[in-house]
Amino acid sequence: MNIDWASLVLVAITTVVAAIAIVGIFSLGVASLTSGGERESGGSLVQNPPSPGAKFAGYACVGISGLLVLYGLYLIIPQFH
Amino acid sequence: MSTTLFLVSMVIITALFFDFTNGFHDSANAMATSVATGALQPKVAVLIAAILNVAGAFLSTEVAKTISGGIVNDAVVTPTMIFAGLVGAILWNLMTWLLGLPSSSSHALFGGLIGAVLIGAGASGVNFSVVVSKILLPAVVAPVVAALAAGAATYFLYVMITRADKEPQAGWFRHGQTVSASMVALAHGTSDGQKTMGVITLVLITAGYQDSGTAPQFWVIASAGLAIGLGTYSGGWRIMRTMGKGIVDVQAPQGFAAETTSAAAILASSHMGFGLSTTQVCSGSIIGSGVGKKLAHVRWNTARKILYGWLLTLPAAALVGAAAAAIALTGTIGLIVVFAALLAGAGAIYAISQRAPVSSENVNDSADVTINPARASVSV
Repeated sequence: MNIDWASLVLVAITTVVAAIAIVGIFSLGVASLTSGGERESGGSLVQNPPSPGAKFAGYACVGISGLLVLYGLYLIIPQFH
Repeated sequence: MSTTLFLVSMVIITALFFDFTNGFHDSANAMATSVATGALQPKVAVLIAAILNVAGAFLSTEVAKTISGGIVNDAVVTPTMIFAGLVGAILWNLMTWLLGLPSSSSHALFGGLIGAVLIGAGASGVNFSVVVSKILLPAVVAPVVAALAAGAATYFLYVMITRADKEPQAGWFRHGQTVSASMVALAHGTSDGQKTMGVITLVLITAGYQDSGTAPQFWVIASAGLAIGLGTYSGGWRIMRTMGKGIVDVQAPQGFAAETTSAAAILASSHMGFGLSTTQVCSGSIIGSGVGKKLAHVRWNTARKILYGWLLTLPAAALVGAAAAAIALTGTIGLIVVFAALLAGAGAIYAISQRAPVSSENVNDSADVTINPARASVSV
């Protein structure tokens, strides 16, 4: 029986770390971009804009997520390597 | 028409039929959560998945060099055994679709082949240790790892954003989910699209219609891509309902966490040499996204049925594959009998599914896939 335990453990750890990291970065971005909270205006809830710093951090996180998507495409498409 | 040409034609038609079932079976892997959360309209979701599957099929350059990756001894495999194995795989895929169960198409194909080879070449033709290391062990690992990763990711997501289910946060997650789901669909196309191409090419080589070691011909790539694309577009709505609503009532943040985890797991497994089934990864991720959210309700009853389906996939497909091989190996008449039985079986399963059909219109209306609308006791 030839079981590649090393690959198994590597795949498992990579999956867990990558999933938490990517979901975490994107969520951080969403949290920043929606950090202004909401106020009532004319009976309906309106989103306050986030502070400039939070807006910058939010778009940076979303941008990093975009780069991770490009890296995923690089891995999927065999013509790139 | 010579006997060889007839046999080869039958295998190619059956292989394309299998490719079609593979497409509609796995449509849900990429798109079920996006359909359930309303990130994409059902018809749009399957169109995107179909286009990406076809694109993936054309992108993949590394066509399977062996039919089974060493699970059966390819030297003893004849086109008739491949035919019988495909019949077993198709019928099992249709059966699990009828029940709304996500199950691995690759495992069904391996099971069918194992059964056919056992009948055609005896037990020495099957490498049982490879069955354990390449099918049984990954089948345990895939859902556990995916559930763990998606569970942790979902948990941290809701810790960071307590009101993630509400707008406008949920809108962001729906967009993120669409992107991750598209990655899963494309990765699926590059791996599963080439499986059928490999089968057809190997049959052409075995029969002497193509030189050994040459790449698949364009019409093989095009027809295999088209078959899996059409299958994906047809949607497999029964399985879509189970994966999107049946296991967990997925919300946008959970769907995002689940699809991102699935994409990460599929890419990690295909680049680090430990192959995991896409179906099992995606099912595991969805369960994880339910466990990771406080107070989310995981329907363990449905999860258990899916698990039983996985346990049965290999032996059930092997049984049908063995029966098909026993008849098909008797000669041309046997081959025609098996093909007729395949069409009859597929037709019967489709007819039964029409008693309580699931379509793009009603996919999100219920969490259960019913077979007999009159008697709820047989609902799945």
